Amino acid sequence: MSPALGPDLSMFNRFSKLFRKGDIIFCEYEPGDTFYLIQSGRVQIVRIIGDLEKNIDILNPTEVFGEMAILEEAPRSATAIALDDVKALEFNRENFEVLMMGNPQIAMKLLKLFVKRIYDQKRRFMILTLDDVEAKVADVFLMLAENQAIDMSTVDTIDFKTTADDISHWAGIPPGQCREVLNHFVAQRKIELYPDRIVVKIINDFARFVSTRRKHQEK
Amino acid sequence: MSPKAVQYRTGSIIYFKGEQGDKIFLLNSGKVSLSSVDIETGQVLRDQIKMGEFFGVKSALGRYIREEDAVVLQDAAVMVFSVPEFEQLASKNTRIIMKMLKVFSNQLRRVHRQVQNLMVSDEQVNPETGLYKIGEYYLKNKRYGQALHAYKKYLVYYPSGAYATEATSKIVQAEEYLSRYGSGVPAASFVAADSSQAPAPAALRAASGQGPAAAEETSGLAQAYYNAVSLITQEKYLEAFKALKKILEGGADPEYSSKAEFDMAKCLFYLKQYDNCIKSFTAIAQKFPKHPELKDALFFVGRSYEEKGEKARAGSLYKKIISMGPEDDPVVRKVRKALRSMEGEKV
Repeated sequence: MSPALGPDLSMFNRFSKLFRKGDIIFCEYEPGDTFYLIQSGRVQIVRIIGDLEKNIDILNPTEVFGEMAILEEAPRSATAIALDDVKALEFNRENFEVLMMGNPQIAMKLLKLFVKRIYDQKRRFMILTLDDVEAKVADVFLMLAENQAIDMSTVDTIDFKTTADDISHWAGIPPGQCREVLNHFVAQRKIELYPDRIVVKIINDFARFVSTRRKHQEK
Repeated sequence: MSPKAVQYRTGSIIYFKGEQGDKIFLLNSGKVSLSSVDIETGQVLRDQIKMGEFFGVKSALGRYIREEDAVVLQDAAVMVFSVPEFEQLASKNTRIIMKMLKVFSNQLRRVHRQVQNLMVSDEQVNPETGLYKIGEYYLKNKRYGQALHAYKKYLVYYPSGAYATEATSKIVQAEEYLSRYGSGVPAASFVAADSSQAPAPAALRAASGQGPAAAEETSGLAQAYYNAVSLITQEKYLEAFKALKKILEGGADPEYSSKAEFDMAKCLFYLKQYDNCIKSFTAIAQKFPKHPELKDALFFVGRSYEEKGEKARAGSLYKKIISMGPEDDPVVRKVRKALRSMEGEKV
């Protein structure tokens, strides 16, 4: 869809903003009411967790970021930094409708993004409603596998590029508690824990475990 | 291919919850109800589709399984679209998308809140503290442009907040560093940067045992120090040396004393007093074997030897710094370059 985006955008140049390489486009925790569509250059999305800057994503031209801001003036959940000199369309509540009406491709893109966000949030919700912490952690791995579109019926072992702190974030449990659970899984030889990755030996064990816990909980 | 008109009898099911579906439906006449289970309460929700309304959009667009049963309550005429067909229609009529965006953003808002409500409280950082700490992180990591941005934003949103005084003085500090060393380095591309001479203010402060709460940066002492440092950037090394000496002799604050001592040694190098430079930095390195800028100090010593023509000593010192790693440390990189050019010269 990207070639179609090019010519249509020229008329929206007055909404275009330039950021120099290294500029912060917005800061985590800052209230936000704008979101962006990259026209040129790359944008890095990071979060500062403890004393480390963690890369969340690197976005390319035609990609949208900061879109959660259109919902409400919630604090930004991550920092966006221009990785190159970046040109981006800046959307806000005032110009949103004008920009969308004049550009169905962008509108469609945003619609799909919202669909994905709704699904992601629901999936997270499913994890958080599990009572059992081990099930929560196991379900995080299932979610990560789903996000990578891994077919769990044909795959046993999965190497996740993730950390214990990420898992604790997704599971909504304190890092210490998450480590305990992960160590327990290590002792049971269900996972292998490395500083920058976690290997799940048999993902279907987790799938069965989570499904049993969920059913048990529904009773 | 074009959308198909399909008739459904009362009581039939258009699709089931849990099915994989790639079709989008538009209700032309009759009655269709969607029944789903609320993720929060477990209650069954029924939602009647209005005439002219689309359904099955989310699962088709996102390629997810259907989240509801679509039940025909009264004989219905439905248009069935594939995703490309739907996109084609929508591209000619953006109002369709706008309407859906509104619906979806409401849904997103709702589920977002539901998730937030379930998050444990310690996961949620107070945004005010969070924003200030972003500035702290970037300042500590010598990314002055980014630090400055965060502190300024902090003051925009919290002009009389808990960290307002600190943020103000950190802005002065970050601006000072910025004018001396440039904006620091953008994320994930340390390679492009040359910040080897930039001091690590936070690290140094930590070394002298002062907490971040000590907002003394704009004090007279800090001002005097920054004035002296700005003389270095203007290449007025002798004046800078004298100003720094005053600070050191005043001894009012161990942090500024040690900063001054370090910068004086630097001045000596630029004043071509290589023996004195070596002596000073060696003393600093002995006094603070874990000095945050030890590598920088040793580099000046090495350069002094090189200037004096003692290339063997310079070379072994350069190799030592390189061995201290890490490989991508800006100082290490600079040293490697210096070593290469020195060895190139010898040949």
